[in-house]
Amino acid sequence: MKIRLLVYFFRQAIQSLVPNGMVHAVGLGTMVVSLLIFGSFLLLFVNLSDWVEGWGENLTMSVYLEDGLDEKMKQAIMRHIQGLEGASVKEYISKERALEHLRAALGERSDLLESLSRNPLPASIEVIIRRHNPRRTDPAAIVKGIAALPGVSDVQYSEEWVNRFRNILEVVRLTGFIIGGLLGAGVIFIVTNTIKLGLYARQDEIEILKLVGATDWFVKIPFLMEGILQGLLSGFLANAILFVGYLILAARKTFFLGVAPIHFTFIPFDYALVILAVSAILGLIGSFIALGRFFNL
Amino acid sequence: MIQLFHVYKSFDANVALKDVNLKVREGEFVFVTGPSGAGKTTLLRLIFGAEKPTSGYILISGINLNRIRRLQLDLLRRKVGFVFQDFKLLPSKTVFENVALALEVSGHKPSFVRKKTRQALKAVGLAGKEEVYPLQLSGGEQQRVAIARAVVKDPILLLADEPTGNLDPELTQEIMVLFRSIHLSGTTVVVATHARELLEDTAQRTIFLEKGQVVGEK
Repeated sequence: MKIRLLVYFFRQAIQSLVPNGMVHAVGLGTMVVSLLIFGSFLLLFVNLSDWVEGWGENLTMSVYLEDGLDEKMKQAIMRHIQGLEGASVKEYISKERALEHLRAALGERSDLLESLSRNPLPASIEVIIRRHNPRRTDPAAIVKGIAALPGVSDVQYSEEWVNRFRNILEVVRLTGFIIGGLLGAGVIFIVTNTIKLGLYARQDEIEILKLVGATDWFVKIPFLMEGILQGLLSGFLANAILFVGYLILAARKTFFLGVAPIHFTFIPFDYALVILAVSAILGLIGSFIALGRFFNL
Repeated sequence: MIQLFHVYKSFDANVALKDVNLKVREGEFVFVTGPSGAGKTTLLRLIFGAEKPTSGYILISGINLNRIRRLQLDLLRRKVGFVFQDFKLLPSKTVFENVALALEVSGHKPSFVRKKTRQALKAVGLAGKEEVYPLQLSGGEQQRVAIARAVVKDPILLLADEPTGNLDPELTQEIMVLFRSIHLSGTTVVVATHARELLEDTAQRTIFLEKGQVVGEK
């Protein structure tokens, strides 16, 4: 396509945006809100993913030992754990210390423990598994291996929690997709109607253009550009507002369960570009639909 | 240039044209006349390809309008000028922009568009009014802008539907002088009018339409 024609089309698209400013502003505002909702889900998903993956990086494992285990057996188990790829023993918690922990956790109600004839809590070994290379270190296999050792009664590890969060993450992702799809349809509807209003406002001009021999595409392209511009603009604004929202969130100190500090991250640059591209494509689709219904001059 | 064979045109139950057979040769100047509702506008719209005949054939420069593709029709319209009674000018565009539009749709270079537009405006006596908006002009001047727009692309055929319908007798004569000069440059001209004063003392071929039928020719 000739560059001067492209310039002409672009000029026409801009000229159409200005006189229908109010209509475009309302359409643009609604599109920005829709994209912002989708972007917020994306931001939530990205941060949840980061947190879950962060927890998954260092799995903690509690290896519960059978009662009456001698020192030799205990040392053998610890040596076995130390020899595993990425695993290290954090600490050994004796039966007595476990009871102390429980007593401390019960606080005022710790007197309940006085009625116990013997300490029912098992001794345990706290293990950290670093997952530098998840392919080489399969936590499930390590758990299975440790659980099979003689003298080990049970193994509990944080992967179970991570997996639960991963399931929640899947739900968030699915919800995001559904809401994103619905909002996408909404955006198309908005653009279709905005462009249609523009088409009606310029009906005379279109008629005259056709009378002097303009091809359909000559008339259509500025409207398609208008849709793309509207999409791009709303995508850009949505990203900008999302970034401001992120900055506000990141400036506040937030804690998970009141203990672990939460670090917020913004959506990756690629995702921001995706929002921009998707909004432009939605704008294009919307104007396409509007033109398809309108054109029969 | 223009050939119509047994052309019928109906709008629902209303018959606008009945068995119209017509030939207009290249370079001719033809008046189509008749009372209001005789079918003059419908005839011109059929020739322009804005309507399709209910039955019959229309050939323009050998192209069958019944079988013409959309793009072909757009390209044909670039060679055909149309002047309307209500001018059909864009009030938001200047006189220059209105005329230039006819060339811009063909993708001509801006320098060519500027040169031809100025020439066309000069030819219709509107040099110096390029930056004026149509509504700031008189009816006669607006019609001249419409004529400039129709002739700026050097059409092989110029169709005019009641071009003087909104003008006083003096301006009517001015517009007719313009049409004659366009005709003299080699363009085939078809003017639909019900104004009898235009047809008096004219040697031009005149086709009489009544109730959608050709009832005579002079």
